[in-house]
Amino acid sequence: MDQVFPAEVPIRCMVEGDPAAAGGAPPVLLLHGFGSNHEMNWVRAGWPAALEGRATIAPDLRGHGGSGKPHDDDAYTPERIAEDVVHVLDAVGADRVDVLAYSMGSRNAWELALRHPHRVRRLVLAGFGPRDPFAGADLYALERDDSPFGRLYRVAATLPGNDMEALAACARGQASRPFTPEPVPGAPMLFAAGERDAVAEDVEELAERCGTQVVRIPKRDHATAVSARALKEAVRDFLAVEAPAGSGGA
Amino acid sequence: MTDTTERTFTLPDLGEGLVEATVLEWLAAPGDEIARNAPLVELETTKSAVEIPSPHGGTIVRLHAAEGEVVQVGAPLVTFAVEAPAGDGRTGAQSGIVGRVPTEDEPPRRRGRLRPPQE
Repeated sequence: MDQVFPAEVPIRCMVEGDPAAAGGAPPVLLLHGFGSNHEMNWVRAGWPAALEGRATIAPDLRGHGGSGKPHDDDAYTPERIAEDVVHVLDAVGADRVDVLAYSMGSRNAWELALRHPHRVRRLVLAGFGPRDPFAGADLYALERDDSPFGRLYRVAATLPGNDMEALAACARGQASRPFTPEPVPGAPMLFAAGERDAVAEDVEELAERCGTQVVRIPKRDHATAVSARALKEAVRDFLAVEAPAGSGGA
Repeated sequence: MTDTTERTFTLPDLGEGLVEATVLEWLAAPGDEIARNAPLVELETTKSAVEIPSPHGGTIVRLHAAEGEVVQVGAPLVTFAVEAPAGDGRTGAQSGIVGRVPTEDEPPRRRGRLRPPQE
């Protein structure tokens, strides 16, 4: 069910199951990529069925989908997006979640896990790597930018409902806080990417620094890995692991 | 001695003005039994990757496009053998893709628009 959580920037979010239920596996928070929304990134790619049995919380990030779309760059820093997410988690009563994130969602999931370590049990960062996703892009002239990010921006421009001024501001806000692999969040992490995903270049290097693994999806690229059965199986396995006995119990 | 009938599922309108999609991966093969709503195929559009659930419960008879092939909206994607509604009794769980489950009288018994004027 879609809900809109009111705030200065309202956040639309799909909530399935009861995220506040005690016991069992925690809900799964789904964070979509740039220019997309929860419906396109997760629902249409078959994730509700893949995560059957888990409560899910799938917001539209600010600037995207049915959420508020401010036009100032500062509204889109990773810390602002992480705060939106925490606001939603509070509103639905989810103390602690597993996170599955894609692309820009992964950048912000990393931020969330650093800033709110007690809210994140496990973290899957998909379609993500340590390289600058905006490399070579003129973020002030995206409508004619020929870098890989500029091309992605123009695909996003063809999607109904996207506000291109908001998305450009989002790109600049995100770019104002370049990703650094230090410090590393404490939650157990898994990286995953299509083997042809240019955005995830060198993710193996990042995973090694984090002391964890990368699942590469054969024959898939950045756009197509998200629906892959191999990704769904890897995520299900990684998120199914029980919390150690005694942790978090009361 | 169940009656079966073949149903061909054509590529549905995926929205956003898309007219075609590329088959990324079949999640079922000819001869497989598949439940309605079980994952059937992954498609790539110019905008995203989409998983299509099976519109019918039944057996896959044939796939009309190989992985990597481009399919136009409205072109055949897959043919199922489904249980034919036996007489006017219970119906199978077939329905149209996406959305509501049809009422009992909705599933076509036979697609006989061109019934010759006989008898």
